[in-house]
Amino acid sequence: MLVNDPEAAHWPVDPARLELVEEFRRAPRGPHSDALQKLLHRMRWSGVGKRHVLVVLEPNRRWMLARLPGKRGLPVETFPNRVFTSLAEAEWAVFVLRWEALTGVPLQDEKPSP
Amino acid sequence: MTDTTAVLGYAWPLVVSPGEAVRFHLSSATLDSAEATLLRVRCADPDPDGPGLRFDTPGTPLDGRVPLRHQPLRPGSCGLVADAPALWRGGSFSVGLFLWPTAPQAGPQGIVARWRDDTGQGWRLGLDAEGCLEFILGDGASPWRVTAPRPLLEREWVFIGAAYDADKGELRVFQESLDPQSGRNTTAGAVAPGPRAFVPPADVALVFAALALETGAAPLTTAHYDGKIDRPRLCAGALPLSRLRALAESLAPSVGDPDLIGAWDFSRGISTELIHDLSANRLDGWLRQNPARAMTGANWDGSTQQWTETPHLYGAIHFHSDDLHDAGWDVDLEFRIPADWRSGFYALRLRARPDSDDPVESFVAFFIRAPMGQARSKLAFVASTATFLAYANSALRLDQVHAESMLEGLIALSRDDVYLQEHRELGLSTYDTHSDGSGWCYSSAKRPVLNMRPRGASFNYGNDTHIIDWLEQIGQDHDIITDDDIDRHGAQLLGAYRCVVTGSHPEYFSRAMLDAFDAYQRNGGRHVYLGGNGFYWRIAWHPTMPHAMEIRRGMLGLRTWEGEAGENSLSYSGEPSGLWRANGRPPQRLVGVGFDAQVFTRSYPYRWLEGARDKRLGWMVEGLDLDAPLGDFGLRGGGAAGLEVDRVDATLGSAPDMVWVATADRLDYGGVPTLEELRTLHRGAMGDQNARVRADIAFTPTARGGAVFSTGSIAWACALSHNDYDNSVARLTGNVIRRFLDERPFDGF
Repeated sequence: MLVNDPEAAHWPVDPARLELVEEFRRAPRGPHSDALQKLLHRMRWSGVGKRHVLVVLEPNRRWMLARLPGKRGLPVETFPNRVFTSLAEAEWAVFVLRWEALTGVPLQDEKPSP
Repeated sequence: MTDTTAVLGYAWPLVVSPGEAVRFHLSSATLDSAEATLLRVRCADPDPDGPGLRFDTPGTPLDGRVPLRHQPLRPGSCGLVADAPALWRGGSFSVGLFLWPTAPQAGPQGIVARWRDDTGQGWRLGLDAEGCLEFILGDGASPWRVTAPRPLLEREWVFIGAAYDADKGELRVFQESLDPQSGRNTTAGAVAPGPRAFVPPADVALVFAALALETGAAPLTTAHYDGKIDRPRLCAGALPLSRLRALAESLAPSVGDPDLIGAWDFSRGISTELIHDLSANRLDGWLRQNPARAMTGANWDGSTQQWTETPHLYGAIHFHSDDLHDAGWDVDLEFRIPADWRSGFYALRLRARPDSDDPVESFVAFFIRAPMGQARSKLAFVASTATFLAYANSALRLDQVHAESMLEGLIALSRDDVYLQEHRELGLSTYDTHSDGSGWCYSSAKRPVLNMRPRGASFNYGNDTHIIDWLEQIGQDHDIITDDDIDRHGAQLLGAYRCVVTGSHPEYFSRAMLDAFDAYQRNGGRHVYLGGNGFYWRIAWHPTMPHAMEIRRGMLGLRTWEGEAGENSLSYSGEPSGLWRANGRPPQRLVGVGFDAQVFTRSYPYRWLEGARDKRLGWMVEGLDLDAPLGDFGLRGGGAAGLEVDRVDATLGSAPDMVWVATADRLDYGGVPTLEELRTLHRGAMGDQNARVRADIAFTPTARGGAVFSTGSIAWACALSHNDYDNSVARLTGNVIRRFLDERPFDGF
């Protein structure tokens, strides 16, 4: 049986590399530099801090932040106060959460690039 | 937010002919009624950037209020042998079998039992909550129990047995590891007091892999087992372990042995739902919820990969506590399709609470076929029902940790996905794993399928309806035919059409389906393939059960689970499964292009190649600017080349006469090649460095004036509606279909 192990994601995240944060903030949907691709892969493969997802409120218009429970049959945890009107905005919000989960350092400016 | 799951249902049959009746099986846990409307589906994709949901409403007597009730789903497969006199004898008995448990710690599980759980009467051999073997006799008052001292290991073969010795008043249980070394030895036994007399209860079925909740031949069941059972034996008398094991090792226990009550050989009738008893008692039975057959037994030794060659090595059935083949719901509505109705994608829409914040709008899909011999158009569009079923209730994005990386961005769950996360009783898709980690290899339409209906996930039903929407938009008449019927009727069904269009992702093909298209093309048929990753996996349809398909993923290809060694042949047909490429028929051989990569970062335009200026293909590029990019727009990633893409390759079967018309070969780092494209690994394989990661458009002339046109991209279909349908993708597709419907041969080929 072949399984995919999320714990295998081990690219070391350097909290000092704020230029990657800035690069992502400017272009959450890419294209991205090699280093940022690795950072995103690190975040997405492991789904650090339980996997954040979106729940579609209106197709291609509005999304709500949510989190998978990590176990089949349990409900999706939703955050009705965190609603996004663009995917870029949502990607940035989750990036901020994951950056802190990985580095222990919160990001100061939590606003996405206009 | 629209509630798409407050009422769910399925249509049976999934595919109906005009004049036939379709029945709707519905259930709601919360609503007592809904407003039903029968619709012909034009576009099923609610994306406001595209055409949006578009339906025709023919008006039927069905339209109106429909009362609803809750109909539960009862997943879990098992084997059932109806009560019979041979099972009535009292006194000592023994039971033994080979076992390969896949979730021994998942909770109490019945392995073999003649037990009614409602009263606690009978006997049962199973696993307790700790994964220890447990043998219980019950008379309804106080059960006698014996439990093995060591838990079983996951995915390790063990011979297990139990005996009731009436003379000694004892219960015995034993287990013998087949590989007793290196920490894998769980061999153990236990003895406990039992009654001096025991009379089994009346009218209770013998059940494999579950416990009956009641009497009768088809009881409700509980405590479903996950794992394999191989060669079960039931005998009179309290036999020692060695004697019981010898009976199980023997492929042909002595039929004349009067103490042999039952000896089941699961290697017989592998393509059926029946199980066979080798003993003189003929205690044959049947399987519920389609557990996996053609599974390697404890005696499988690697000498073969194919169960048809040595069925005696395939005496195991793999039962799953979450198997679901048939919801078994009662009918709520029935409708006879008027004889003059058009074929098409149809659906029953169910609405409730229209004025609330959470209005209900749910759909139950079905298809009306153009029956063989009754073509009404020269053009047929194929409803990829095999692919729709392969993806039915996909939980890939919920369960598979690679999904977010693969899809290159946050996962956006629909209301259906949120429901599926909590309601696994719907049964998952062939992309998913069972709760025990093994792959789902079967899928059936006799259950609600959330992603094969309007508002469902865009892959693949929704994407395909963009082609229907475009055909309607340009006023092109067409028939709908289905994979089911192509498998059943073959080339003669296709032969009625001048041109046959396959959709955005016709990925799953049986041999009969592939043969039908091959013969159609060779006989002058014109095939337009408007998709990507088509003709990829080899499947089988069940020989007798409609709308049930099977795939064995094997160890090659872009597989979301890997089949176990020796288990990669189809139980439904006996054929090898896996990739068509590994079966000697790469997609390039049929349609000129074949799957090479995924690209989910964004989609791309094609650039025209020299082939586009081929004088013989002037009709194809009429009105198109060959110096401009082709398809730098679209609803899926902003381009027509994307998601899953196919390339031309002469070594894989693209024909010498093929004309390579266009390519999108600059897919950047998001272009990730499929596994079978790599001989060895190196770091330069992605699309930013590898021109073999690409989408190609190709035209191939075939015999007798036939031809094939392929676009090699799933995203293509969702670019057709761009700029109010006035765009290069729509123009090229229209040019091809118009010319393909013209019976004149192609000059110059």
